[in-house]
Amino acid sequence: MKVSRWSEKLFGTPIPDGVIITSFLFPLLYLVSFLVIPVFVMLATAFEYQGHISAHWFSSIFNSAYYFNPRHPDGYLAKTIIYGGKEVYHLYGLDFGVVINSILVSISVMFLTTILGTTFAFIMARYDFPGKNIMRILLFIPLLVTPFVNVVVVKKMFLPDGIINWIFYNHLHLFPKPIWIDGLIGVIVAQTITYYPIVYLNAYASFINIDPSLEEQAENLGSRGFHLFRTVTFPLALPGIMSGAILVGIFSLEDLAAPIVFQGSPIAKKLMSYQIYSSFVSGFAIGNPQMAALALVMLTLAIIMFLAVRWYVGLRQYAMLSKGGRWNPRVAKPKWWQALLIAFVVVPVLLITIFPQIGVLLLAFSKSWYGTWPSGFTLDNMKAIVTQPDIERVILNSLMYSTVAVLIIILLSLTSAYASNRFKKAKLAPIIDSLATIPIAVPGIVIAMSYFFFFSTVPPFKGSTLDPTNLLEFFPGAALILAYSIRRLPFAARSISAGLQQVHVSLEEAAMNLGAGRWKALTSVIIPMIYLNLFGGAMLSFVYCMSETSVGITLGSINSTWYPITAKMKELIIGAVGSANLAAALGVFLMAVQITAIVVANVITKQRYSFIGLT
Amino acid sequence: MVDVRLENVVKEFDGVQAVKGINLHIKHGELFTLLGPSGCGKTTTLRMIAGLDYPTSGKIYFDDQEVTYLPSYERGAVLVFQNYALWPHMTVFDNVAYGLKIKKLPKDEIRKKVEWALELVKLKGFENRYPTQLSGGQQQRVAIARALVVEPKVLLLDEPLSNLDAKLRLEMRSEIRRIQRELGITVIYVTHDQEEAMAISDRIAVMNVGTVEQVGTPRDIYERPKTEFVASFMGKTNVIPAKVIAREGNRVTVEFENFRLDGLRYEGEKDDVVLVIRPERIKLHPVENAITIEGIVDLVEYYGFFTEVVGLFGERRIIARTISDKEVQGLRPTQPVKFYIDRDDIIVLPKQL
Repeated sequence: MKVSRWSEKLFGTPIPDGVIITSFLFPLLYLVSFLVIPVFVMLATAFEYQGHISAHWFSSIFNSAYYFNPRHPDGYLAKTIIYGGKEVYHLYGLDFGVVINSILVSISVMFLTTILGTTFAFIMARYDFPGKNIMRILLFIPLLVTPFVNVVVVKKMFLPDGIINWIFYNHLHLFPKPIWIDGLIGVIVAQTITYYPIVYLNAYASFINIDPSLEEQAENLGSRGFHLFRTVTFPLALPGIMSGAILVGIFSLEDLAAPIVFQGSPIAKKLMSYQIYSSFVSGFAIGNPQMAALALVMLTLAIIMFLAVRWYVGLRQYAMLSKGGRWNPRVAKPKWWQALLIAFVVVPVLLITIFPQIGVLLLAFSKSWYGTWPSGFTLDNMKAIVTQPDIERVILNSLMYSTVAVLIIILLSLTSAYASNRFKKAKLAPIIDSLATIPIAVPGIVIAMSYFFFFSTVPPFKGSTLDPTNLLEFFPGAALILAYSIRRLPFAARSISAGLQQVHVSLEEAAMNLGAGRWKALTSVIIPMIYLNLFGGAMLSFVYCMSETSVGITLGSINSTWYPITAKMKELIIGAVGSANLAAALGVFLMAVQITAIVVANVITKQRYSFIGLT
Repeated sequence: MVDVRLENVVKEFDGVQAVKGINLHIKHGELFTLLGPSGCGKTTTLRMIAGLDYPTSGKIYFDDQEVTYLPSYERGAVLVFQNYALWPHMTVFDNVAYGLKIKKLPKDEIRKKVEWALELVKLKGFENRYPTQLSGGQQQRVAIARALVVEPKVLLLDEPLSNLDAKLRLEMRSEIRRIQRELGITVIYVTHDQEEAMAISDRIAVMNVGTVEQVGTPRDIYERPKTEFVASFMGKTNVIPAKVIAREGNRVTVEFENFRLDGLRYEGEKDDVVLVIRPERIKLHPVENAITIEGIVDLVEYYGFFTEVVGLFGERRIIARTISDKEVQGLRPTQPVKFYIDRDDIIVLPKQL
């Protein structure tokens, strides 16, 4: 037998067997086919002008004041206007053009979520006070993903006659006049409320994982109070906080729910995600290469953010666990002024941030909602879930797409985790590892856009049922399943990868050494040992497939027979009056799915799975 | 049961040679030890024999069959891992039965063989326990039973005692020796503990930075080390740098500090040499054919069943070991002392380190 040098380079072993080759090639080919190549097809479209390679479409973006207007912004941040015969304080936003608006919104949301998430995390990690357990449960509520409808509620909350003014203007008289949060500021507020749990979860984990002896040593040397926090605690937690914040920045960049809900004010449409989305909706503009160029700008920003935080966190992989010793969690009773702060600032903010999910419930169980409170209790919307054929249909569609996508995700994450964890010397290992995580940084609308170009121009897909321009035969389900399986892969891949790292390689080697082939070793030793991670990861992916938005409301909304849940929700929100209640019922259904999944995952795996709120 | 031969086996990791072309011949029924400090390539060598790593070049034979690139599962060279690698989700019975189930043996035969193996390692009655419910020593026995039950062509043990406490280590050491004798099986044993290697092995290969320095019986290696590394690695010993100043046939005169020692056996070419003298071969009373060196007492250390006297000879410390209490009575630091060494107990080796 001959040793193959190239196989050692590629696969990390001179004699790869079928399992090894499959573990490398299946995720590699899948991700290259349905992520890398589509993006490159879109790239090619964006760089082509009249048959030549050209930056024309990019310069057309950056030369147009509509897209890029750094000097003379329109609009206003806030001013007093007359609304319904009364003076209200209107918070609106400055328009610097689509590209800069997106960046500014994303930065603002990162900043606000970091403050909110870090504060909540620090209080939960370090203080002990009555009602803390209730707060812990309440903090779980904003994690529930209810596409569109939670933003509808946020919008209602901040209307001049909304609940916020009802409390702070009408009753507490804290505001001099009613406020109305609208436009880009509305988008920022909605996204902040939606995404801050991501920072919270990351920051909380970071605070909990700081070795107490590091802080004790600082105290021992005379540091205390805010100085201690600023010099030791916060820097140690910063990598975790940063990765949460960057994730939020990317999600803000690609978010469609807030701009769509706030599209009543024209400035909310002037965001990159909305512009690309609207080219799908208006139909004739889908193939517009300018939109491909805009999608690339968005992708580039997201990837830069992603790589920057990876680089930054990689530099600061602190070894948190000290060797041996006591692990005394540093939990203290708040001082009197801290207690006041918690009671009168933190708790009210928390209540505001959980209200959207409660509002979705109210919306679902009411006939209408004008003014401050919903009116007319009804079960009709909830009943529609099981009685109204088009609603039933979208639920079944989503269940079907998500189930198939999760099966693919399990295969992909098993193979990619196995290849990249077990054959670290292989040249392909880091490539596969990156490919399995990068979808986090690829905006869904970019995937939708690249699939459009890819399936409508590249054989053998051109003219097939995957081609969205082939209107009569186009089957969105296939495209959605592909998009789901790519977009939600990182959740399961991370979970399974973490599991695999816990299984020492000698356990598998022992099996092979005793005569088991690699496949047998995999099924009899590895899978039984990681099935909890497998299960948890699969649940997580499933839940987020069910609530996937970007691809669902673009490629998925071409043919109403094949709508996923989110496409229907969007149609209901922007459609006829009163349908928002029906959309809320679907939101309640999604929340129920998520709660069930979390409870089942926690009960079965006896591990704490908490879900990150993604749309 | 097979002969295991390694021919010019080289293993590179990222362009660095961990094993630099070694040749070994392990005879069947032998307990053969690869001994060396960590990083010397002994575990890598063992893993190549097990088929868990493949050599970059060179060949491995089991009897006349070349197995260099035979996958581990077709090789029958069963390894007992340093961390035992027991599957935590399987009972003791299932762990031990695993290899037999792979071979698709009938159920009652599996049961019989597992019983036999557990009896052999004195773990009968533990079949339904899980590995986490066992002590370190018991886990180790399960690992050995799991390996033995498949009747391996060669049994490979990777630092099997390193995770056990001192008392258990002695116990398991003789246990492994007993089982090996009882079954007459070829065993390749890896350790960094020279005492363990000496006690258990038929033959030892001493390895250092990817090469084999010496192969021989424990007595050979202890008493006739071929290199400075082997001499210094095998137990506490005096290694004294010296210079050859005169030669007469295969006898030389060497000098260290201000001491001149003549009539020593040395066939090497280098004039820079080391003198290797085992502490227990240095006497505190006159003996025949002895060289006498005079110094002062630096330290007297009492170990219970022997005493060590550290003498200072110029700048050089030399350790003598005696079991006689009488000889060391009255020896105090700074007092003059005489060491007597039989010329044949001074091993002269070319300087290496």
